[in-house]
Amino acid sequence: MSDLDQAIEQLRGCRLIPESQVRELCYKARELLIEEGNVVSVDAPVTICGDIHGQFHDLMELFRVGGDVPDTNYLFMGDFVDRGFYSLESFLLLLCLKVRYPDRITLIRGNHESRQITTVYGFYDECIRKYGSANVWRYCCEVFDYLALGAIVLGASSTLEPTSNTALSSMPADSELETESLNSRGEVMMSTYRPRQRSSSDASTDSRNISPPRDISAAPGQAAAPSRSGAPGTGASGDGNGSATTSRTGAVLCVHGGLSPLIDSVDKIRLIDRKQEVPHEGAMCDLLWSDPDEIEGWGLSPRGAGFLFGGDIVKQFNHLNGLSLVARAHQLVMEGYKEMFDGGIVTVWSAPNYCYRCGNVAAILELGEDASGGGTVARSNGEYGRSNGIVTDNRVISPGRRYRVFEAAAQDTRGMPAKKPVADYFL
Amino acid sequence: MALEVQPPDGRKRVKVYELKDNDWFDRGTGFCTGQILGEEPRIFVESEDLPNRVLLETRITKDDGYQKQQETLIVWTEQNGTDMALSFQEAEGCAVIWDFVNAVQQHLLSLTSADDALSDDLDSYQSIVLPGPELGNLPEIEQIVRAASMTQNGRDALSKYIIRDEYISKLVPLVTMAEDLESLIDLHRLCNIMKSLILLNDNTIIETVVADHIILGVVGALEYDPEFPTHKANHRQYLADKSRYKEVVPIKDPLIRRKIRSTWRLQYLKDVVLARILDDPTFSVLNSLIFFNQMEIVNHIQANGPFLRDLFQVFDPRNPDQRRKDDAVQFLHQCAGIAKNLQAPSRAQLFANFISHGLFAVIAFAVKHLNPAMRTTGIDILSALLDHDPVMMRGYMLKAVNEKKTPLTDTLIDLLHVETDLGVKNQLADAIKVLLDPQIPMQDPLGRAGPDYFKVRNNNLLSDAFVQQHFDESSKRLFQPLKQLANRTALNDLTFQEVTLYSHLVDILTFFVRQHLFRTRNSIQSESLAPRVAQLLRAPQKHLKLVALKFFRTLISLQDTFYQALMTHNNTFELILDIVYETMPRDNLLNSACLELFEFIKRENIKPFILHVVEKYREKLENIIYVDTFQSLILRYDQMQGYGAEADATLFSQDESTAPRRIPLNGQRWQGAREMDPAEEDYFNTSDDEDEVGTFWIETIKWTQDRVATADEPSSGSASAVVKPLVDYPDDDDEDIMDTKPEGAEQQPVASPTEITEVPASSLTQTPPAPPERIAEKRRREEEDDDELSKLTAGPKRRSSTSGNSGAFNMNRKKNLSAGSLADKNASPGVLNKVTSAAPKRIAINIGSTAKPPVSETDNPRTEVTSESYEKENRDDSQGNEGG
Repeated sequence: MSDLDQAIEQLRGCRLIPESQVRELCYKARELLIEEGNVVSVDAPVTICGDIHGQFHDLMELFRVGGDVPDTNYLFMGDFVDRGFYSLESFLLLLCLKVRYPDRITLIRGNHESRQITTVYGFYDECIRKYGSANVWRYCCEVFDYLALGAIVLGASSTLEPTSNTALSSMPADSELETESLNSRGEVMMSTYRPRQRSSSDASTDSRNISPPRDISAAPGQAAAPSRSGAPGTGASGDGNGSATTSRTGAVLCVHGGLSPLIDSVDKIRLIDRKQEVPHEGAMCDLLWSDPDEIEGWGLSPRGAGFLFGGDIVKQFNHLNGLSLVARAHQLVMEGYKEMFDGGIVTVWSAPNYCYRCGNVAAILELGEDASGGGTVARSNGEYGRSNGIVTDNRVISPGRRYRVFEAAAQDTRGMPAKKPVADYFL
Repeated sequence: MALEVQPPDGRKRVKVYELKDNDWFDRGTGFCTGQILGEEPRIFVESEDLPNRVLLETRITKDDGYQKQQETLIVWTEQNGTDMALSFQEAEGCAVIWDFVNAVQQHLLSLTSADDALSDDLDSYQSIVLPGPELGNLPEIEQIVRAASMTQNGRDALSKYIIRDEYISKLVPLVTMAEDLESLIDLHRLCNIMKSLILLNDNTIIETVVADHIILGVVGALEYDPEFPTHKANHRQYLADKSRYKEVVPIKDPLIRRKIRSTWRLQYLKDVVLARILDDPTFSVLNSLIFFNQMEIVNHIQANGPFLRDLFQVFDPRNPDQRRKDDAVQFLHQCAGIAKNLQAPSRAQLFANFISHGLFAVIAFAVKHLNPAMRTTGIDILSALLDHDPVMMRGYMLKAVNEKKTPLTDTLIDLLHVETDLGVKNQLADAIKVLLDPQIPMQDPLGRAGPDYFKVRNNNLLSDAFVQQHFDESSKRLFQPLKQLANRTALNDLTFQEVTLYSHLVDILTFFVRQHLFRTRNSIQSESLAPRVAQLLRAPQKHLKLVALKFFRTLISLQDTFYQALMTHNNTFELILDIVYETMPRDNLLNSACLELFEFIKRENIKPFILHVVEKYREKLENIIYVDTFQSLILRYDQMQGYGAEADATLFSQDESTAPRRIPLNGQRWQGAREMDPAEEDYFNTSDDEDEVGTFWIETIKWTQDRVATADEPSSGSASAVVKPLVDYPDDDDEDIMDTKPEGAEQQPVASPTEITEVPASSLTQTPPAPPERIAEKRRREEEDDDELSKLTAGPKRRSSTSGNSGAFNMNRKKNLSAGSLADKNASPGVLNKVTSAAPKRIAINIGSTAKPPVSETDNPRTEVTSESYEKENRDDSQGNEGG
């Protein structure tokens, strides 16, 4: 067993690794992250997660519900630390996993991955408490500076393969599953359907209707192991018009906060020198701090950093960049996830019972792989011409979205969450 | 009614203050007595000059919020709303009057609460009677307690009952009884009851809870949390462990000993036992109890001469007890940690006391310790001092230099060069940055000047030439390893330690350049550091490349002709373009950093760079087509050539409205000031008026002072002139700032305040520079057309040319510096600072009529709120309904 695997084991047990090992880990992570673009390209399938905030036991619950690394690919949208009592364990575990399985897990930066914020909201104190000095905090902050600012998910399937226990009979004919919400036991709580895809012009009935309904019943696979065969729902778009080989599903942009008035295209993000403390204003700040709101255009943010942006902004941005969805975190939503603006943006929140008392549930978002064979863009963080891969067709279909909702880890499994007391005192 | 309280004997010398328009107005000095005149308790102050004149006569009522602050201060609000303060000469006198006030109030209170019980509050007072503390009654007790907690009246009544009846101490024995009976359900009930009682959020109850004979019973009950039925905590084991308390030098005062114990218990309650269930009010009650205890403890320690002597004598070289020395360092470290929470004047007093007893020697002892953990502790103490008052620390250091002693900086620099523990190295680098920072950060040139600050500036410490000399010598020492890179041709064999050292050194150099570009010129020039940093652009370690790149990116952003020449007369851009070539078209951090650099040049239209880059590397640029940055540069160049002089005229205006504002530079610890240099330039170029200079600097100092206490905000390049709150709770005052925000995505979001202020500054730097500059530049240009080797040998010639010209600048600065170095004295305008500092006044800063944002950006809690209230505010946020 390598040192790294051993560290992972230890951290999974919520036991810290020695300071020297943290240092090593952080240096390895740095080497890795420096190669990542400001916006990392990620291929579906991937599971997108929101804020964790040091709730280690709930992170374990997340892995239980969503599948373990490396079996499931993960994308964490920042805010790993602060507020909860186990920021160190949570962040170091994620970082270990990143170093161990770099292609299986993507970490992007949240507004709490910052020196200034962590000194106020707990991570700094926790480091002092658990390691006796600020060294580990410094190492971690150095890593924060290297974290990517966003990610773009390519090749997501436009439709969900129904989970095994979906009541198939309830599926309207001539439609496909668009979103589904499952509880932590895998039971479907809610699903939405959309009419079977038509070509970009919706009027004409064409090859899309040829997919016989029976295919749907043939498809159900295990939720954990999506079957690659058939996938008729997507097949239609793939075989039907061979010329458009790429998926019609638009790409999904993942950022911690939201959009910025300074960023009108995803490629603009590339022009940021991200290796710095999160600034108090400017594009980088906005990406990590902004929030969507029911307004038009841009508004000032009550947070004092970033902006509020309305549905029109999202729509325009998505259209311009061939995106079908912006996934973000940053705001507590009691239901774990919340779609806004006709599904143009979604907030994913992955810290159940936030601060151990908010009483909310958490969610993760699964995007399936487009099995039609088209549009696979090799996963590479340094992929050139990323934006060219995106279909700029005027209508992009949003990906099928499966939300897994979960509650805080059972009390029995986690012991009492508490901070570590000081060892000795003089005063 | 008869007052049983005895009025105190004797007269205490005291100053009377009244708060008028937010200033404490001195009503005079006199003698204070507590008297009871016909049933009415009063405080009298008779003037000492005119014995018949009464400075103060006030009746003590039960409702007045009397507060004792520090040892010698009593503050309260009169019935008519006036805020008053008595500042005693002796702590003892203060204590006597305070006891009198307290006794009177308690007496009055006991009378009224008896009255009240019979009058209007009848229902709530009478309804709260808890059944006898017996196991059998627990269900009923729990139920009553829970019900009473629901309403404010119920809570008040319950608190009173609990305190009067000393109910908690009666409950405590039940814990062991229930444990003996193994009755989990009773234990759970006890736990719930204890929780509810603590969450009543009553000072007295919480103080009772941590009392010696009660604490173990209380946490014992709290070990059985019904929410975690299968778990039992071991709080008692932890709290009963006497060995956790370490004593380097025995503290003899029993009261203080008790305070230390209860503080420790309070902290444990806050952090461990109650961490999950604390609501905000209780959290702040715990915090303030801890705070006041700590204040008393620290005050006791620093006022205790014999104790301090004993403490610092531990470090006597003849003392063989290493262990005890280590403990003493830890002890001081904890004191320093506590001091961070104190208000600035008490903190200043504590540190001054420590320093006079030999704190620096302790730090020197610790930073040379063999154990890295001790080194870290030592530097932590140093950091606390630096955070507290960098100016004072620099003053001490310069004093040492002046007295031909080895200054602390030299020790630290030498350590930095050899230190192998990376954490310690990091701290060392940070400390050096602050210590060598030779000037007050010019954060806000237009801060409001208070009259106090004029007094401060007259006692100049050291001449500017001296400061410059020290800076140059220290820099020389510090950057020696960097300089030695000159002898190295290949960088492929850099050791890990070297890489770390170089990145720290370049980082410090970047900091210096940004912080005070004039002063740094000497070292950069005479040690020819820029080519060395450029060398690092070729290092195989990517993060080292990044650090070097950051250095040049900073030079570019300064828009200073000297540094521009530095870059255009070298092959720096070639090296940077090489990195672009190496990395393109891969999308990675290094590549983005390069693109950002060229984007910046393009956006800001920095003509010398555009000319230089396109002229020399046109072909290279033409081949980079995966982004349009480089083509635009060429286009811009061609336009320049085409339109000639006419184009020139407009070149310095901001013409790219869609472009983002200046992208900020790297954030660092201790970066008090950033990007001040344009303002600085502005100043040098425009104003020679002595008076203006004075105000300008004094204002700066004042402003800085406000920040010093809470230094250490990471700041962000362009935005740094003013720091915006980065805390995610709705912040009142910010609303007005962003009015200038745009409607659509295409526009620039803010009519950028930074731009408004920076444009004039940067265009000033572009207009014909001072003559000596020109000459120097020309001379260099001639030289640098030669190859690398000859450049190295050309050292002396260049040195003479530039040091002369930067000297001219330094002359101008003399005044400023000396004023700055004294700002620490600001802490003294009287004991009443302590009062006012609890609610710092907002400092209005108005840079220009149109530029609104900076005003509110000073709202950053780190600068405005004292540590204590600051913590509270943050806590408010941590309810986190809108989190993230």
